[in-house]
Amino acid sequence: MKRRDFFKTSLAGAAAAMATSLEAGVTGQPIDNRKISTIAFPEKRPMITYSDRPPLLESPRSTFANAITPNDAFFVRWHMPDIPTHIDPKHYNIKIDGLVNKELNITLDFLKDPAHFEQVEVTAVLQCGGNSRSAFKPIAGGIQWGHGAMGCAKWKGVRLSDLLDQAGLKKDAEWIGFNGKETAAYYETPNFVRELHLDELDDHVILAYEMNGEDLPYLNGFPLRLVIPGTYSDSWVKMLSNITVTNKNKKLFFMDVAYRVPDNECECETPEKKFKKTKPISKMNVKSIIGYPENGTVLQTKSHVVVRGVAFDDGHGIRDVKISIDNGKTWKSAKLDSGEAGRYAYRGFSLAIKPMKYGKMTIMAKAINKIGQEQPLAKDIKWNHGGYKFNGIDVVTVDVV
Amino acid sequence: MKKILLIAALTMAPLFAQVEGDIEVPYIPFEVKMGKGFGEVNANCLTCHSFGYVTNQGRQSKAFWRGKVDKMIVHFKAPMTDKDADIVTEYLFEEYGNGKLK
Repeated sequence: MKRRDFFKTSLAGAAAAMATSLEAGVTGQPIDNRKISTIAFPEKRPMITYSDRPPLLESPRSTFANAITPNDAFFVRWHMPDIPTHIDPKHYNIKIDGLVNKELNITLDFLKDPAHFEQVEVTAVLQCGGNSRSAFKPIAGGIQWGHGAMGCAKWKGVRLSDLLDQAGLKKDAEWIGFNGKETAAYYETPNFVRELHLDELDDHVILAYEMNGEDLPYLNGFPLRLVIPGTYSDSWVKMLSNITVTNKNKKLFFMDVAYRVPDNECECETPEKKFKKTKPISKMNVKSIIGYPENGTVLQTKSHVVVRGVAFDDGHGIRDVKISIDNGKTWKSAKLDSGEAGRYAYRGFSLAIKPMKYGKMTIMAKAINKIGQEQPLAKDIKWNHGGYKFNGIDVVTVDVV
Repeated sequence: MKKILLIAALTMAPLFAQVEGDIEVPYIPFEVKMGKGFGEVNANCLTCHSFGYVTNQGRQSKAFWRGKVDKMIVHFKAPMTDKDADIVTEYLFEEYGNGKLK
């Protein structure tokens, strides 16, 4: 039997055996019934816990009823098992070297001093490129996240461009490499280094030391992390220690192999025929998540229910969030929050509904951004090997009694 | 016969942040199936990551697990012998397989 034939057969067999949302080869809704652990990590309330080494924590759906994610419920994703066991902010230095006129080696206090750098704030969504990955069938390898590998915080820090200005870029400077303090168990394992092209770095990119008015939690990158509004979190290097300017990009696993999607229009491929050319996941697509009610929530008939959630994209801004309670036959625009938090932040949405019929009711949410891009139905999202960039219309099913 | 038990204390990573005093990343006792080859899994895999990282993938085909083992060797430079790589793949497929080769 040829591979293609094998796949077809197994697809049919699997489809017959499984619930509709889990059909092999058809994208469904991500896994949404994971239990919150009874064990809390440092500075965190108990969360959905995938791993302790490296720490991998997911925010539960209820988190997304609010447009700011509290620090203690903010998701956590590290790549390497060894995180420094002791950080003394008084002696934490950040180094800038490579193709600069003047190498810098500055302390946190120096960085936080308005006499040296303007202190700036940006509210921005941080989302893992593999958020909602468990929606893809067949499985795309990697952490099988539900919807909770994302959060939105107000970040405070200094502009990367101000720092680079102070160091002074040499003429042939082209790539900026960022290295954090996490390390692997083996020396040969590639470090989690990111490189960004100068063109990708605008004034919104900051080195943040504060999150929602507090020091960064240890597990979110204390004492300093990169914030790149509008892009997926793979480049938001945590515990940032080194910035190196070069004229040539290096061969890096986490740049050249991981966090990439097929370089074609649909960014899709099939398990048996992978698309050879790939590109970085980079900018986030338009997405919305319902925070309340949740799957399995029991609602009374004729009660007044307010559906709440958050919507975002890569910085174009959200124009509309539509809600359907009749399986997508009719849609109604939700009320959006003021939008004061800016175009990189969650736009909170809410809509009053009144369940009239007993039984199961689905609530769907679809965001549309200011350039008219809207979320597709989950089933219309094509597969990619890494399970990246899922942005299907969110669906929760409640029980009306 | 399959025996399920919890592996105790591998390593505890003590951490210190802006909070007072020393803090630690907690140890999570992930459920482990003690099948043939777990010794090799313990020696080759759990040095770098928790068992939760493995089981989170769900039940998968032999080709899937082989691919994961190869990824660890090729990209993450796990110093693993060919023999151990085979044993680990067998263990994963036996204990966490979906019955399909591909």
